[in-house]
Amino acid sequence: MTPEQAELIACHECDLLLQRPIILDSQAARCPRCGSTLISARHNSIERSLALSCAGLILILPAVSYPLLTLELMGNAQSQTIFTSAMALFSDGLWFLALLVLLFAMIVPACKLLLLFWVSLALHLSIKLPGMPFAMRSYQHLDEWGMLEVYLLGTLVSIIKLSSMATLLPGIGLLCLGGLIIVTTLSSSMLDHDLFWHQIGKKQHE
Amino acid sequence: MDAGLLTCPDCHALWPLSMEGEYCRRCGAELHVRKPNAMIRTWALILTASFLLLPANLLPIMQITSLGHQQPATIIGGVIELGSHGMYGIAFVVLAASVLIPLGKLLGLLIMLAALQLGWTTNMQQKMAMFRIVHWIGRWSMLDIFVVAALVALVQLGNIAQISGQPGATAFAGVVICTMLAANSFDTRLIWDRHMTQDTHTDEQRADT
Repeated sequence: MTPEQAELIACHECDLLLQRPIILDSQAARCPRCGSTLISARHNSIERSLALSCAGLILILPAVSYPLLTLELMGNAQSQTIFTSAMALFSDGLWFLALLVLLFAMIVPACKLLLLFWVSLALHLSIKLPGMPFAMRSYQHLDEWGMLEVYLLGTLVSIIKLSSMATLLPGIGLLCLGGLIIVTTLSSSMLDHDLFWHQIGKKQHE
Repeated sequence: MDAGLLTCPDCHALWPLSMEGEYCRRCGAELHVRKPNAMIRTWALILTASFLLLPANLLPIMQITSLGHQQPATIIGGVIELGSHGMYGIAFVVLAASVLIPLGKLLGLLIMLAALQLGWTTNMQQKMAMFRIVHWIGRWSMLDIFVVAALVALVQLGNIAQISGQPGATAFAGVVICTMLAANSFDTRLIWDRHMTQDTHTDEQRADT
């Protein structure tokens, strides 16, 4: 990038070319023509992303492995984890759905946390780790495919559907999943893409 | 584009137009002035999603077996059942996620395509805001799939009560994924190229680029 190009910014939704605005802490710049957010600066974005991704990586283990709900009916008990719900769909012959549930509710959220951890760790320590641009790009592309909050809402709806016919006991997993969702939602809103790319670009040239 | 620059799709760095088809030197993404075949891809995915809407709503998404009595459940059936038990709030959430959002999303994408192809560009700022909402809200339609996943995992009690997934759910997941991909493949910049800069640029200039 030439210095003149670094001074310019193009809206990625309507392609209006603008002078790069000077953004102070916690401010955001919007495109004057179409209203899209161009840059959204966040306070301590790198440190907060690192902290939140660490918290997320800790929480995701119990959220995935402990039962979310246990159903009790006539002396029988049946537990649900994210993995068993995918496996139950698989055993009904719906392998495509099982794969989607595994991807959207387990693999993608875990990958997102790992990638964010990798990039924010490198930027925080200002060291160059391999694959930083790739990790950041993958994170951006995976962002909307992590659906933990939708999975939690689905579980809550199923509680309501079943509450009339059986006893349902919430498990530790449900609490951890709730915490994990708060952490991942915060981490997406705390991420300053422009700052991250700027820092990654600097590292590439060292 | 008119300044001889193109934007990286992933890191939004600016590069000269001559780098079309090459890779971004900052992040490694393939550079294109506009998303390739944006209109055709969006149309294809919208049509696929609309066709899949039929099996998604007509076929049962799960089968409930209770004490030997079998009963298929469709998406609408589930909403009606919740409503008949007086749980209007939750019935509305499920109705919104599984019927209103997919239909609204298809409608929203069609409006954006109309803006591009027929020049319906009044209130463009509102249309862009609508597109951003459509883009953001799409994932919530997966709600019904996750409800089925939870029910199927929990209700495995042999002869007493058993819930199993049915192919309607696969079709419904297909609708959700196709509409999400359609929103991703649409390029809003095409609308601004074609209709919103006409006072300064002629058709000839557009054909050049």
